[in-house]
Amino acid sequence: MSQIQIKDQIPTGELMSSGHFACPGCGGSLAMRLVLKGLGPKTMVALPACCWTIVAGPWPQSSVNIPLYHSPFETAAAVASGIRAALDMQGDQETTVLAWAGDGGTFDIGLQALSGAAERNENILYVCYDNEAYMNTGIQRSSATPWGAWTTTTPAGHPEARPKKDILAIMAAHRIPYAATASVAYPVDLIRKVEKARAIRGTRFLHVIAPCPPGWKTSDDETIELARMAVLTKIFPLMEVEDGQTWRFSMEHPGDPVEPYIKRQGRFSHLGPREIGQIQLDVDARWKMLERRVEMGI
Amino acid sequence: MPEKRPDSEMVHGVPEVAVSSTTTMANRTGSWKYTRPVFQDMVAPCNATCAIGVDIEGTMNLVREGRLVEARELLLRENPMPATTGRICDHPCESSCNRKSFDQPVAVHSVERMLGDLALEDPLPAAVVRIRTGKAAVIGSGPAGLACAYHLVRMGYEVSVFEGDEEPGGTLRYRVPEFQLPRVVLDREIERMRALGVDIRCGVRLGRQLTWKYLERFDTVFLATGAHRSRALGVEGENLPGIQYGLDFLHEVGAGRAPEIGARVVVVGGDSVALDCARTALRLGAEVQLVFWGECEKLAADPAEVLEAEREGVEILYQTVPLAIRGSEQMAEEGAREPANTISAGISGAPTGMPMGLECIRMTLEKPDGYGGDPIPAEDGRQVLSAQTVIIAMGEEPDFDLLPLDLKHDQVRVAVDELGRTSKSAVFAGGGIVEEPHTIAHALGSGKRAAIGMDLYMRERAGEKVEAPSLAGLRYGRVGNFSITRYRGDDPVRRTGEVNEVAGVERINMAHFAPMPRRVERRMKPSDREGFEEVNLGLTQKEAVAEATRCFNCGTCNQCEMCLIFCPDVAITRREGDKKFSISYKYCKGCGVCAVECPRGAISMTREGL
Ligand SMILES: Cc1cc2nc3c(=O)[nH]c(=O)nc-3n(C[C@H](O)[C@H](O)[C@H](O)COP(=O)(O)OP(=O)(O)OC[C@H]3O[C@@H](n4cnc5c(N)ncnc54)[C@H](O)[C@@H]3O)c2cc1C
Ligand SMILES: Cc1ncc(C[n+]2csc(CCOP(=O)(O)OP(=O)(O)O)c2C)c(N)n1
Ligand code: SF4
Ligand code: SF4
Ligand code: SF4
Ligand code: SF4
Ligand SMILES: [Mg+2]
Repeated sequence: MSQIQIKDQIPTGELMSSGHFACPGCGGSLAMRLVLKGLGPKTMVALPACCWTIVAGPWPQSSVNIPLYHSPFETAAAVASGIRAALDMQGDQETTVLAWAGDGGTFDIGLQALSGAAERNENILYVCYDNEAYMNTGIQRSSATPWGAWTTTTPAGHPEARPKKDILAIMAAHRIPYAATASVAYPVDLIRKVEKARAIRGTRFLHVIAPCPPGWKTSDDETIELARMAVLTKIFPLMEVEDGQTWRFSMEHPGDPVEPYIKRQGRFSHLGPREIGQIQLDVDARWKMLERRVEMGI
Repeated sequence: MPEKRPDSEMVHGVPEVAVSSTTTMANRTGSWKYTRPVFQDMVAPCNATCAIGVDIEGTMNLVREGRLVEARELLLRENPMPATTGRICDHPCESSCNRKSFDQPVAVHSVERMLGDLALEDPLPAAVVRIRTGKAAVIGSGPAGLACAYHLVRMGYEVSVFEGDEEPGGTLRYRVPEFQLPRVVLDREIERMRALGVDIRCGVRLGRQLTWKYLERFDTVFLATGAHRSRALGVEGENLPGIQYGLDFLHEVGAGRAPEIGARVVVVGGDSVALDCARTALRLGAEVQLVFWGECEKLAADPAEVLEAEREGVEILYQTVPLAIRGSEQMAEEGAREPANTISAGISGAPTGMPMGLECIRMTLEKPDGYGGDPIPAEDGRQVLSAQTVIIAMGEEPDFDLLPLDLKHDQVRVAVDELGRTSKSAVFAGGGIVEEPHTIAHALGSGKRAAIGMDLYMRERAGEKVEAPSLAGLRYGRVGNFSITRYRGDDPVRRTGEVNEVAGVERINMAHFAPMPRRVERRMKPSDREGFEEVNLGLTQKEAVAEATRCFNCGTCNQCEMCLIFCPDVAITRREGDKKFSISYKYCKGCGVCAVECPRGAISMTREGL
């Protein structure tokens, strides 16, 4: 069938409600909607400070129809581990404990808690929705911000000078049973990974690219297109790592040129052809490395 | 353990352990938006280019869903003879197909042919109940006349078709070669129209057996006598024996009488009729050359058919301009070769088999390596092609000898408006005698337009207060043909917020489609082509259904649910019962993701509050 049909593969239940406070076209809110479709109602969330703190709604409201604990910025994995322990005490093996954090809360301040939990192989699912900066507090760079990007702390004159941290490799290095990437532009793949992760015991990690119109300086309606281009350009390849050793690509990545992706985003508007060429080289080099990982394991 | 504080003790109005008790649905976040998505079905480019005005997109969608019976009903609403058009229409719909920007256009005609053939196997339909008092006469049973009669009968009128020839079908029966269109196909399609109530009387020619006076007993008349007069080549020697005009030649073959031709035939012409003459002569056993004055690309015929002709053995001499035709004496003087045998034993006494020659000159471009050069005669370009028969196929024009004096026309066309109305009250015209391309699709389309005009006319005459429809609204897009379904207002396809604009390729989100090559129809091997057996064997039903799944369904929602899946605000829902989509504007923030992700452009963003 030439028309790609996905409706029959997406669970119809909705655990997220309208009226939430995400910006128009927020990739992070769609990410939660899709992940919850994959997990179902038997889920509890540990939520550190991030945009989602706001998206979840002010008391007495909640935009998700499952228990959700607001917790300090650096503690997602620790709080999730605690909830897990409590459920275990109650003999509840059925409920999935989901830690849901932004890139700042994952790559930076929450990394210690996450590493600890992973090292203990806590029975939790940790999802990082990655909008590539601290968006909730006004677009400050994080270690997930890509090279060359503008943020309020990496202004156009001194844009982000370090490459994006390789969080998937870091998590794989913990030898957790499952780590993967996903994109809101590929809901079937995303939900399949969530369902797969749900059935595994131990620490599971999912890294979801989630475009952010105000932070990326893009139009509200481009979110899915950008999340798709990120994958097709190999900037954000869709992958799975089992037991930290078996690396796999989830689909064919055609390797579209990065330029159109970069050019569509205001946060890269100061970059000239040379810098864009550099990004392409970096993407190509990283791809080679990923191919090696797929071939040989770490 | 710390003492538990009473619930009433609140910090900043929040209890110590704040547990949410409600959803976020109280927040009408829809008030943030300044643009508003609306479901707005548009017109597929193919629908707007089909000269008949078929809902191609709707048909393709039904085939994709495996609803073949409904698909062919939808097709038959607009097109009375899909098995025929699926074979010989030059399918302009495909040249405007949005899919050509992705891989190759959808083979619409192949799917149409499959559905048409499927309909041929159906039992004949019951006659349509006559619910109108009016009576209409149609002169000519070519596609234009048949379409007009078909649509009027389906509206409940009594219609009589008068045909001068012995059998109905017009050019389709008597001139389109049988290897393109088997007569059984045409017969069965006409039989279906007759079953519906179209009354066809053959051997009744207006001007002979039928008079204008007699026609006065009808409320209205549709003239569809076609274009059958061959244009002359206009060179010296054109009146020599051994010269035939393409239309007459094909008519003889079509009527089952094998015309006499020589073993060497030269055809002069530059369109599909010339090509048909050449391929027909070839099948009668002749060696055939086709002389065309222009370059290859200028030949006004489907390139695939040109290729087929060449594969069969027609030698095409491009850029060759005929200058004169020489008789046998002249040829003998110049020492031309001996007369060969005639091929078919035909009407006796005709001086066939005599050698004659077509003198012509090969042209070359003034500046062979550059552009813009005019063609000039090539040095040593003069040649004499020897043959026993020269067939002239320089195009056709109508014969207006029997038109009443008060009916406005010039040499080649009757003047009509968009509903086929002529200058004479109650008289309508269409097909080959009005100003439009000479194709089967245009003929079928003009018959349909006239049927609408005649319906309006007869209802008015019957004293009904008729509200004139918006003609622009009946067209697909701005320039497409009229849709009879729109006219009747009984579209079986569910549409939302229809706008009559074409959904161009910029509205298609190609990310939701996978490449899939266009299915190629099977053709008989040139070496296996015997006599007048059909050459193009079409697609199997399975292949045709697969081909229909290549269609993007441009502009019309086909319930793929992409919009619903990608909305970050859960603002799009689908009702349980009737499966209707709705957007909750209370919560939709107007991000536009749904409009961008809709694979087929069925959602438009509009200014909020306007
Ligand atoms: C050889 C050939 C091949 C063609 N191939 C194609 C093709 O592959 N694809 C395509 O799209 N188009 C093709 N065409 C063109 C197409 O067939 C015509 O455009 C179309 O048939 C015109 O339809 P019509 O109804 O106006 O006229 P016609 O089909 O010509 O029908 C007119 C009818 O009126 C009858 N008639 C005429 N005068 C009178 C009278 N006084 N009283 C009663 N009846 C009368 C005639 O006998 C005839 O039956 C071809 C044409 C020719 C000649
Ligand atoms: C310890 C601590 N430091 C700083 C903050 C302020 N703060 C709240 S959210 C946030 C940024 C979160 O960024 P990220 O995790 O990427 O999530 P996003 O907002 O981008 O979704 C910061 C810095 C805080 N809540 N706690
Ligand atoms: S700032 Fe970005 S991530 Fe945060 S709610 Fe808005 S769009 Fe979503
Ligand atoms: S893709 Fe389908 S609907 Fe679109 S133009 Fe082509 S045939 Fe028509
Ligand atoms: S995706 Fe949802 S929120 Fe965005 S415009 Fe469409 S309906 Fe509105
Ligand atoms: S995305 Fe699919 S369901 Fe939504 S409007 Fe477009 S065609 Fe219809
Ligand atoms: Mg972030």
